[in-house]
Amino acid sequence: MSHIQETHDQQHEPTNIRRLQFPLDPNSYKILDEIGVGVSAVVYKALCLPLNSAVVAIKSIDLDQSRADFDNVRREAKFMSLLSHPNVLNAHCSFTVDRRLWVVMPFMSAGSLQSIISSSFPDGLSEPCIAVVLRETLNALSYLHDQGYLHRDIKAGNILIDSNGSVKLADFGVSASIHESNSSRGWCSPSSSVFTDVVGTPYWMAPEVIHSHNGYGTKADIWSFGITALELAHGRPPLSHLPLSKSLVLKITKRFRFSDYEKNKNEKNKRFSKYFKEMVGLCLNQDPSKRLTAEKLLKHSFFRNCNKGLDFLVKNVLHGLPSVEDRFRIIKSPTLSVVPVVNKSIGDEDGEDEEMEDSNEKRRRISGWNFNEDGFKLDPVFPTDSEDDSVVKQVRFGGETIIQNKGGESKGESIRSSSLDQPSQFTQSTCSSSSSLGQVGEETRAVSLVQERGGESGESTPGELGESSPSSPGQGRTSGGIIDRDIVMQDLIFLKRNLEDERQTLMQVFRLLEAEEAVEATREEYLERMVERLRSELESEKKRNLELELEVEFLKMQIQCDN
Amino acid sequence: MKGLFKSKPRTPVDIVRQTRDLLMIVDRNADTRESKREEKMAELCKNIREMKQILYGNSESEPVAEACAQLTQEFFRENTLRLIIRCLPKLNLEHYLLQARKDATQVVANLQRQQVHSKLIASDYLEANIDLMDVLIEGYENTDMALHYGAMLRECIRHQSVARYVLESAHMKKFFDYIQLPNFDIAADAAATFKELMTRHKSTVSEFLSKNYDWFFAEYNSKLLESTNYITRRQAVKLLGDILLDRSNSAVMTRYVSSRDNLRILMNLLRESSKSIQIEAFHVFKLFAANQNKPPDIVSILLANKSKLLRLFADFKTDKEDEQFEADKAQVVKEIDAL
Repeated sequence: MSHIQETHDQQHEPTNIRRLQFPLDPNSYKILDEIGVGVSAVVYKALCLPLNSAVVAIKSIDLDQSRADFDNVRREAKFMSLLSHPNVLNAHCSFTVDRRLWVVMPFMSAGSLQSIISSSFPDGLSEPCIAVVLRETLNALSYLHDQGYLHRDIKAGNILIDSNGSVKLADFGVSASIHESNSSRGWCSPSSSVFTDVVGTPYWMAPEVIHSHNGYGTKADIWSFGITALELAHGRPPLSHLPLSKSLVLKITKRFRFSDYEKNKNEKNKRFSKYFKEMVGLCLNQDPSKRLTAEKLLKHSFFRNCNKGLDFLVKNVLHGLPSVEDRFRIIKSPTLSVVPVVNKSIGDEDGEDEEMEDSNEKRRRISGWNFNEDGFKLDPVFPTDSEDDSVVKQVRFGGETIIQNKGGESKGESIRSSSLDQPSQFTQSTCSSSSSLGQVGEETRAVSLVQERGGESGESTPGELGESSPSSPGQGRTSGGIIDRDIVMQDLIFLKRNLEDERQTLMQVFRLLEAEEAVEATREEYLERMVERLRSELESEKKRNLELELEVEFLKMQIQCDN
Repeated sequence: MKGLFKSKPRTPVDIVRQTRDLLMIVDRNADTRESKREEKMAELCKNIREMKQILYGNSESEPVAEACAQLTQEFFRENTLRLIIRCLPKLNLEHYLLQARKDATQVVANLQRQQVHSKLIASDYLEANIDLMDVLIEGYENTDMALHYGAMLRECIRHQSVARYVLESAHMKKFFDYIQLPNFDIAADAAATFKELMTRHKSTVSEFLSKNYDWFFAEYNSKLLESTNYITRRQAVKLLGDILLDRSNSAVMTRYVSSRDNLRILMNLLRESSKSIQIEAFHVFKLFAANQNKPPDIVSILLANKSKLLRLFADFKTDKEDEQFEADKAQVVKEIDAL
C-alpha cells in the first residue's frame, strides 16, 4: 500500500510539484469503483496510472445538470486548489471531460464519518473518539474561518477519514468566501453577517441561516459543528426522526434510523462528560454572537483534555470496518438515492423539486430549537402567545412537530395527545392567535403544506394546517374536525409554563457548572497567563532584534548602492 | 515588570515599511544560503498577515477605516505593489510561504477598493505602473501563480483605466487560449476575468468592440463558440448574449446579427444536445429573428430552415417556468412564421 502513503502528505508538498504530478487527462486514470453518488455528481475510487497507480478519489460533476450552479462548481474547484491544511481535503487537480468536471482528490479510504456511523456505530461513537474527530474538524474550521471562508455544510457526511486516522473536512460545493463576496457594505470581517442565501443541509442549519434575511457569518458553521457533535454522539443529528417537510424527508431522513432515538436517549446521556456537553452548548447558542469561535473552542477543556492521537481512531473506529466501496454498495442497493459523500444541500438542487420551491422558503423559517445541555439534545421550541419570552418565541414545524415530538416532552404529553392526536386542522384564526404561529398561518404556506400532505398519507402527521376560514371548516380537503381554540390555547399556555420551568432548572444547572469550573480553572489559568506573558516578552525581544538587524542590512545595502 | 520588554505597538505605516524593506531584501538576494533568510521570510509572512488582518479584520473585530487608509496610503506611496508581485513566486516550497502568498493576494485585492480621502489611490498608482498588468496577465501561463495573479488582476480591472489598457493590449488575444487551459480552476479564473473585462465598464467595452470588431468576433466564433470543449462553448454563448443584449453595445449587436456566418454558428448551437447551451443560444438567436432590417441572406437562411426551426421551438422549454423566455419564444416563432 505504499502508493496510498504518497497521497497522505499532499498538503505539505509545494503546489508546483502537486500540479505537475497529476495528469489532466482522463485516460491516465483507471476507475475502480463507485463510492458515492449525489444529485449531479458521482465519486469514484480510481488509480492514477502514470503515478505508480496511486489511489485517488475522483468526483465527477455533471456540469450540464448543475445549470444554475456553475458558479458553485467554479468556486469549489478554486477553493480546493487554494486551500491547504492537513485537515482540509483539497484537490490534486481538476479538468473537464466532455460535460463533466473531474476533480481528482486524495482517496480517504475509510470514507465519511456518517457512513462509518451508519454501518458500524448506529448509536454513535465513544466520547474519546468524538473528541479526536471534532478536534481535527475544528482545526480545519479554524483555518477556513481565518482564511475568510465559510464551509456552510458541516456534518458527519462531509468529514472524511483516511486509513491512518487522519481527518479531513470535505465538500466545498456550497462554501463561500467572505473576502470575495461583493457585498454592498464592502469588506466585512468574517464573523459579521454577510450572507443571506439559505444554504446547507436542514438538520444542521443554524437558526440564522434558516431565518437568513438577517444574514449570517462564520458562526453558522459553529452551529452546524455543534449539531455534528450530537450526530457523532447519538448516531444521527437531533430531530432527524422528524420530517421537516416532505421534500426534506425524502432527501435526508432515510439515512437515519428513527426507531430508538427516544428510547435510548437517557442511558446514553450518562456516557458523556460535563465538558463535552458544555462545549456543545457553547456551539448551539441561539445567538450567533454568543457562540465561541473555532479558535476559542479549540482551547475548551473538552479538547485540552483530549490527548489521543489519530492512531486511537484507527484502533477504535477503523478497525474491522467494511471498505468504503462495500459500504456504498450496501447503501446503494434498494431505494436510497442520497449518499453522504456527495450529498447535496438544498441550494444545489435547482429544478429538482420545483413544486416545493417557494413553500420551502417559508417552511424553513419556522424552525427553532434550544439546546438542552442536561439532556444533551435539542429541544424543539413550541409556539407561545407571550411576547416577553423571547427564547420560546420561535416555532418549529407548526402542528406537525408538536405531535411528532410529544414523546420527548413528558409532562405535557397527556394533554397534548388528548387534543391533537386525531387528525385535525388548525384554523387560520387559531394560528394567528399566537404570535409565532402567525407565520404558519400565512395563506400561501398553509396552502402548499396542505397540498403536499395530500400525497403523503402514510406519514403519521395528524396535525394539519389549513387555510380554510372558521366559517367553512375542512373545505373538502380533510375529514378531520376543527380544533377548539380554547383547548389549544390552554394547551399552549400549559406548554409554555412547562418550558419556563425547564428553563429555570437549566439555568440553575448552568450556574452550578460555572461555579465548579471557576475553582478548577484558577490555578491553571494563572500558569497560563504567566506563560503567555513570558512568551509575548520573548516575542517582542525577538522582534526588536530583527528590526535592528534589518536596519543594519538596509544600511549596508544603501552603502553598497552609494559606492 | 510588564511592559518593560514591550515595544510600542506598530502602526499600519510601520508594518508596510517593514514589509517593503523585507521584500527588497528578498527581491535582491536570490542566494538561499544567505544568513537568517528563513527568519526574514518568516517575518515577511507575519507582516503580510498583519496587513491582511488590518484590512479584513478577524473573527473578533471589524477593520478600522482609519488604519486601512493609513496602510493604503503608505502602500502606494512607494513601489510596494511591484515588489510584492515580483516576490510572490519566491514564496514557495514551504507551507507557510504558500500561505503568505495567499495572504498577499488578498491584501492586494483588498487595496484596490480602499479609498483614501474618497479617492481610489490604487488607480493612480496602477496608471503610473501599468506594465504590472502584463506580469499579472502572463501569470495565467504559470500554473503556480495563475490563481493568485488572476485574483489580483480581476480586482485591478475594476479601475476603468486599467481595464482599458488590458482591452487595448496585445494580451486580449491570449485570453482565448487561457479560457481553454487544461487546468479547470485556471481556465475558469481566466474566463471570469475575461467576462469582467467584457462587461464591467460599458463605455470602454463598446468602444473596444467597435474598434476591434473584426478580429475579436472572428476569434470569438472560431475559438470559443466552435470550440470542441463543452464548457467553453457554454460559457462563450452565455457571455455573447450578455454582451449583445447590453444596451451600450447596440451598434455591435446590429452588426453581429447581420452576418450569415454568425447565424449559422448560432443555429448549430441551437441544435446541441445540451439544454443549457440551447437555451443560451436561443437568447442570441432571437436577436437575429427580431431584427427588423434583416439582410436578404439572413432571411433566406431562416426561410430555408423555417419548418425545422418551428418544430424545434414547438417543444423547446426551460426547466423552470420562465415567462420572459416564453414571451421571447412566441415572438421569435411569430417572426419566423411570417417570413
